[in-house]
Order: sequence, then C-alpha cells, then structure tokens
Amino acid sequence: MFKEIKKFLLNQPDEGVDKVPEETRREFLKIGLIITGVFAGGSIFSVVSKVAEGLATPEELHKSYPYKPHYSMVFKMDKCIDCERCVEACRATNNVPEYGWRTKILEIYDEKALDQKRIFMPILCNHCNNPPCVRACPTRATIKDPQTGIVKMVSYKCIGCKTCMVACPYNARYFNEEKRAIDKCDFCWETRLSKGEKLTACAAACPAGVRIFGDLSNPASEVYQIVHQLGKPVWTLKPETGAKPNVFYTMG
Amino acid sequence: MKKIKVNKGLLFFLFLFLFLLVGRVYVYDLNQGIVISESEEAGGPEIIYGKPVKGVLFSHKFHVKELGLPCESCHSGIFEMAALSSQEKKDFNMQALYQGKYCGACHDGKTAFASNTKCASCHIGVKGMMPYLKKLSQSQDK
Repeated sequence: MFKEIKKFLLNQPDEGVDKVPEETRREFLKIGLIITGVFAGGSIFSVVSKVAEGLATPEELHKSYPYKPHYSMVFKMDKCIDCERCVEACRATNNVPEYGWRTKILEIYDEKALDQKRIFMPILCNHCNNPPCVRACPTRATIKDPQTGIVKMVSYKCIGCKTCMVACPYNARYFNEEKRAIDKCDFCWETRLSKGEKLTACAAACPAGVRIFGDLSNPASEVYQIVHQLGKPVWTLKPETGAKPNVFYTMG
Repeated sequence: MKKIKVNKGLLFFLFLFLFLLVGRVYVYDLNQGIVISESEEAGGPEIIYGKPVKGVLFSHKFHVKELGLPCESCHSGIFEMAALSSQEKKDFNMQALYQGKYCGACHDGKTAFASNTKCASCHIGVKGMMPYLKKLSQSQDK
C-alpha cells in the first residue's frame, strides 16, 4: 500500500521551484503595477502603472477580475484638505457611530519638510480583488460580490469574532455595537448605489475633487483613465500583501 | 444615589468665559472659525476659517512679522479689519481666489505661490487645528 502512495506522490505534476518566482512575477505584472519606492509613515509602497508598456493590457486585467461594473476609487491625494465633509457624509448616510469609521483621513506631518509640511491621505475599504478578510471569515458573513466586486457584510451571519478585523491589511473594519456585527465600507451599496445613485456619499460630498469613483471596467470612466496611464504615478497601499486593492492613489 | 446633572450649555459658556478672560481665543467653534489673538508685534490674530470648509489657516504672525508685509497690502479693499468677516460672504471660495479675489490677490503664482497649489499649506484641516493651537499656546508661554 505504501508503495502505491509513493507512486502516487511521485506521479504528481512537478510545480518546479524555479517556475514560481516567474509565475508570481507575471501575476503581479498582470495587474499592471510595479513597486518603485517606499512611502513615508509606514509600510505603504508606491506603485506605478506599467500597463502602457505592454506587460499587461487592461483587457487582460479585466479578464482575471471580470466585475461589471468594477467599482473602484482613485484618490487625488494632494488635493485633500481634511475638511472631513466625506466623513460627515458617510456617518450620516450609513449610520456610522462615533466610535466607528468607514472612511477616515490620515495626516502626514513633517516639521522639517521643505515648503509644505503637511499632506492628508483619505482611506477606506480597498475592496480587494483578493480580499484577505473574506478568506478569514469562518461564517461567510463577509463576501466579495461576484458582480460588482464590492466586499460586503451579511450582518445576520456575523458572529463578531473579529477575525476579519485582524486579517484586513487596511484596518478598514470596526465592530458595530448596535448591529452586533462588523461594519465596513460597502461603497454605499446599500444606501445609495443599489438605489440608482452613481456616486458614494463621500465622493459626492468632497468639495476638492479628491475622491474619483467609477467603473474600472469602463474605458470611458475617469477611474479607468487614471489607473491605466503612465504620465502620473498611481499606487496602491500595501501591495506586498497580495490583496490587489481596487482603491488607487495619485496626485492631482 | 443622586446623579448630578451637568448642564452642557452652561459648561460651554463657562469655558467660553474663561477663554475670553484669558483673552487668547475669541471664537472657539471649529464650524465657525477660530481667532487667536497674538502679541502686538505679530500684527494681528491667527485666523482659522471654518466656512465654507473647516480648518483654513491665515497667520498674521507669518505674513506680517516674518514677511514684513504692511497692513495696507491686504486691509485696503481685499479684507475687512474684523477677523472672519470674509467667510460670511458667498463668494469666499477657491473659485474667487483663482480670479484674484481675497488670498488670490497675492497667491497668483507670481507674488506668492498659486492658490491651486500646495493645498495643505493653508488648509491645515480638522487634524491640523488642535496641534496648531497647542503649538501657539506653548510658544506664548515661553
């Protein structure tokens, strides 16, 4: 019997150790991004779009993640002025309590910086193509919507174990005491998008045009045009986690 | 056990009164804007506008004391003498600045950096307000 097992194991197709780095590399390039540097204030890597160099076409990217519409957000980071209208709009629209958050603004302040000493960075759930939180959930209370790619909560299934909070690389989840479930950004799916609105509450409230929300699968949308260009750097947060976020950052 | 009721409004006014007594902060509401009186040589108060967006800083200390601009350069038609009076006007927004009104009179890219650049230098935001107030009070104590 052991001989048969040995035979079975030996007959397994060889993955080949030497092939793995190339595979992962190709996988990485498929999303059209390459690491170029380290951003100040944590393990946030800067990533530049390489789509136009022919490493991966937008069509290839959308073949691997065929969401329609493929909801996505781009932040023009240097335009953010921390007026927090987005945060207020989000709280009002989605009933986010004082202690929780679905979106917030981080501040980078450097006294010794030349010229401008301050820059703000808005963050929310990255609605990853490969979401670690969905994999971590033991009750499938958090799901990746097969049509839109939005990472949603099914509140009644949530047992409040908070495993997803630990799994999320972006700290985008909080425990809602009233719902007795984890709550997170759903790109306003429940409150706005499913009712026919085109924008999330935060994107609609932003006075500075920081939050560009749209369909990454539609070549006419601004999101598509920003992500698939080379002129200005576009990056995602923590690409090393392999979560492949759908929230991108760029400068005005 | 008796619970002591604290009137929040009364408490607010008490604090406001205390601030008025100290004489540093005239207005203390993030939505309405903040005015912090500085010493005579600073030339005027530190102003943090609250409308139409929160947390926009104008520093007399920087513009008058450090840059040495005379009062008339702004207070002769561009801005009224009373602090925060311009934020009550309807056209006090970035669009007006691009047309050379208010801050845009100098911040046009020639005299000073253009209004549509370096956003967060003036827009210190909700997060920038409290540390700024703290820093000011520390520098005053010295």
